[in-house]
Amino acid sequence: MPSPTLAETPTVAPERPAARATTRSGRKAIPFEQANRRLKWALLSPALGFVALMIIFPLVFTLNLSLTDAFGAVNANNTYIGLQNFIDALTDTRRFWPAVWRTVYFTVGAVLLQTVLGLALAMLMRKAFRGMEIVRTILMVPLLATPVAIGILWLLILDPTNGIANHLLGFVGIPPQEFLGSVSQSLPTLMLIDVWQWTPMMTILLLAGLSTLPEEPEEAALMDGANAWQRFRYIILPMLRTTLLTALVLRGVDALKTFDIIYATKGPGGGSAFEAETLNVYAYGLTFDYQEYGLASAVLVLFTIFIVAVVVLLRRRTGRTSA
Amino acid sequence: MTMPPIRRRHGAAERSLSRGAGPVAPAKHALTRRSFGALVAATAGAATLSACSPGPRTADPNAPLRIMAINHVWSQAIAEHLPEFEDLVGRRVSMRLLTADQLSNSYNVKLNASATDIDVMMVRALQEQILFTRNGWLADLTDRVEGDAAYDWTDFQEAPRERSVTADKVVSVPIVTERPALYYRKDLLEDFGGAPATLEEMLEISLELADRNNGFFGYVGRGQRSGAVTQWSSFLYSFGGDFTVDGASGIGTPEAIAAYEFYGRLLAETGPPGVTNMSLEQAMPIFAQGKAAFYIDADAIYSNFLDPGISTVIEEVGFAPFPAGPAGSVPHNIPSWSLGINRFSLLQDDAWEFIRWISGPEMVARLQAAGIPGARQSAWDDSATLASFPNDLAESMRINAENGKGTDRPDVIQVGRARDIVGRPLVAGITGAAVPPVAADADAEFADFLIRDNRQREF
Amino acid sequence: MSTVSTVGTTSVPSGTQRPTAAPRRRGKRRLGSWLRGVTITVVCLIVAMPIIWMIAAAFKTNVQVTDPNVGLIFSPTLENFRSAFADGAILGSMLNSLIVGVLSTAISAVLAVPAAWAVGRFSMGRTGSLVLVARIVPAISLLVPWYYLFAQLGLVGSYTVLVLSHMFVAVPLILWIMIGFFEGLPIELEEAARTDGLSAFGSFLRIALPLAAPGTAAAAVLAFIGSWNNFMFALILADEDTMTMPVTLFNFISYASTDWGGLMAAATLMTVPVILAAVFGQRYLVAGLTAGATKG
Repeated sequence: MPSPTLAETPTVAPERPAARATTRSGRKAIPFEQANRRLKWALLSPALGFVALMIIFPLVFTLNLSLTDAFGAVNANNTYIGLQNFIDALTDTRRFWPAVWRTVYFTVGAVLLQTVLGLALAMLMRKAFRGMEIVRTILMVPLLATPVAIGILWLLILDPTNGIANHLLGFVGIPPQEFLGSVSQSLPTLMLIDVWQWTPMMTILLLAGLSTLPEEPEEAALMDGANAWQRFRYIILPMLRTTLLTALVLRGVDALKTFDIIYATKGPGGGSAFEAETLNVYAYGLTFDYQEYGLASAVLVLFTIFIVAVVVLLRRRTGRTSA
Repeated sequence: MTMPPIRRRHGAAERSLSRGAGPVAPAKHALTRRSFGALVAATAGAATLSACSPGPRTADPNAPLRIMAINHVWSQAIAEHLPEFEDLVGRRVSMRLLTADQLSNSYNVKLNASATDIDVMMVRALQEQILFTRNGWLADLTDRVEGDAAYDWTDFQEAPRERSVTADKVVSVPIVTERPALYYRKDLLEDFGGAPATLEEMLEISLELADRNNGFFGYVGRGQRSGAVTQWSSFLYSFGGDFTVDGASGIGTPEAIAAYEFYGRLLAETGPPGVTNMSLEQAMPIFAQGKAAFYIDADAIYSNFLDPGISTVIEEVGFAPFPAGPAGSVPHNIPSWSLGINRFSLLQDDAWEFIRWISGPEMVARLQAAGIPGARQSAWDDSATLASFPNDLAESMRINAENGKGTDRPDVIQVGRARDIVGRPLVAGITGAAVPPVAADADAEFADFLIRDNRQREF
Repeated sequence: MSTVSTVGTTSVPSGTQRPTAAPRRRGKRRLGSWLRGVTITVVCLIVAMPIIWMIAAAFKTNVQVTDPNVGLIFSPTLENFRSAFADGAILGSMLNSLIVGVLSTAISAVLAVPAAWAVGRFSMGRTGSLVLVARIVPAISLLVPWYYLFAQLGLVGSYTVLVLSHMFVAVPLILWIMIGFFEGLPIELEEAARTDGLSAFGSFLRIALPLAAPGTAAAAVLAFIGSWNNFMFALILADEDTMTMPVTLFNFISYASTDWGGLMAAATLMTVPVILAAVFGQRYLVAGLTAGATKG
């Protein structure tokens, strides 16, 4: 990109709150509604077509496999067994349901914590201060760093015997923790790693959301003597709802699918007692450790349906407020 | 931006051509009229991008011989010798190094699509071989190994040689063998008269030396469910048990339970924290940092403890044979890594030439002299090849090989799943839970598993 | 930057409107801003610490890496970087990552930016969100079928297949970000241009596209970083000559041992360009990250 155009950002972005209003009404404006229908499809379909091309074959492939007893190799002599794989998965209380529960637990826990911390941090950083740019740069780093490297790095830091984390805890008199080495601490530790990596993302999103809010309601509340908490709870929070829910959808989908970090730190099967085995990790194990392609495909189909359901549910809520 | 030239690309394998048409059909079906034009454009774009069409079905004379290997001292050692072979065969050799998990994943993805971009495969005879043979992924090497007097197939030790055979065919050639070694601290064991001869003795000394609150441990070892199974096998055998007894589950027997409980107690009472998350990679540094008195793991990793960049116990580390249990000292003695040929490879003759060369008597002796224990008896009989090992290690390897059993994990198709089941009571023992109920549960699960696995085995 | 300035100017006057409580409030406020500074500093430390630890580890020997008593003060060694570079694979794979990243980002932008404009201007939000399905599907369910498909096409191991797979991630990402950006652009300019006789496409090309250049830059950098970090697709679809950096990291993990120092050196080499992107492109990246979200 040529740098002259880059320099224009500051002039474009501040207009966004105002621009949004015009777009809302402007969208009904005549010229674009009358514009060539073919044009909009011509512009949209290469992107749509590409994604469709890349995704349809895997979808059909996976759906097809999920109805077979494929084992060992996907092109072995498979027999169609109807919905047996789905029944097997849904009645499996040893691995499948615990994995569902862990996926939900991990996602809800991590995303909630990120949201609360991210919101708190965003409120703190709302007023300009010296070093703002440096702080925001630092916040960017975890979410840009390579997940694989991050996983290995945390393993090194949290090693119960040779890691720096326990060493530091020792200075403040906290006994050494097992972290990822313990059955009960693994999932919470992984949540904290996720929180470390993604809270900054939440903060950045919510800061942007805060910056688009109109000032009048808050000032009015201040005149009425509302305290800081009341202004936050009854003025800011409701206005921030759209941004908040969008951020939740974005982070929620990614958190449900978390894989690299769990795999890098807990290995196949999510640890010795399957303590960090989420649905994604389970499907991976079925595919690559057990070669049970039929069952693995069924689990993947169920998992995808599950994510779509969550997204639709959350988006429906967003839709009600924004549209 | 132009596409850099792509050096080589092989065509699809013959037998998958007919299948290719099927799955693509639904994609066409799903297209709407309007987006069809765009799809054509996108496809055309992709075609230009690819710059050349699918290659021929016979091997390109310039194609390199591709070796998929695990990142192992063996692979690092042979990398230096590859130019010799390139001159010999007149073809470039390209070796890709991966971790064990990644290697296994790559095989599963690629060979499922009958990939031709792998020629020589480094495989674990005990982990993947049955499955891969069942899938028809490994070429039959029987005639090649037996029809070559100079290669001398019978020179390979019997246990690893037997493990190369699946369904009456030789499908792999062992290149690295492994036994457990007892790594111990000579300085700390002086007062106890050196390395313990029995497991019981080792436990007592571990309990005595462990000072866990100050970060010193008696015994360190693998505790991760699946990863620990192979090392635990020597304990199991030395307690008189086995994974299967007459084809049925053997993990509920009193011998197995005693072995589970012993191993659990050793790690739970004298081991480091977080041991259930430890495989080789996590356990090894603890001993290397001088934080444990004993460590039992593969003898193939000994060089780590003699490397000043990794180890702080270069002077103190001692090597001993596997201590005896109630049933004597019965360690495993296994072919940990073997070479096979991808059945879809277009360069099978060259691939065999490579295997013949790298696992021939001369090269195995050279590699063993460089510290990599091989599978050829001639190399083991030649004391010169053992000179590179520390004396006590060479001696312990010899003794372990004599007493050893040819496998260290259940002999099934789905080894991954079997290890997950068999490893459960192990973890229970380490976390301090009662072993018998977990073992009974795992025993039942393993019995079901074996029935199913046996059924799959008819191929 | 815009964020800071708009917010900063609003909150100052709101406080001065209540002069009566001024002295007490000022004291409180000083304490508050001190607390705020401390909190933000602590957060920054927590966020930065692991990365600092990684960079420090890159300059340590393996014995030092696994010894917690060796903190941030030690005599650094360049040995890890020397061995990382001596292993020719690292430089080659960095170049591969660069090639794949640039190509996949550029082609994705060509596909996604016009599409985003169409979605933004013709209110086709629902159609556009179809592309977001790509974000939802677990990558594992793509690996085996993709390899199967691309093996039939003879593309496995080529740059093409890596570019295509990375585009699968980049196209939805750029689309998502750019929809937000185009919606944020004032529509009047384009309407004026159209009254002056420009076609709809012309108004996109001549008016909207130049205005969206900063957004495109942000989206492109984010897409590039996504490609730079992608591990799984390269693991399966690349071969030795096209292998990208995240997979090459594992060269330092071998069967018997992990070369922590070398690994951390390579990870540092991988992360430094990303950190530089964050330092120099911070304001644009923030704008890119947030464009999709605030628009809902």
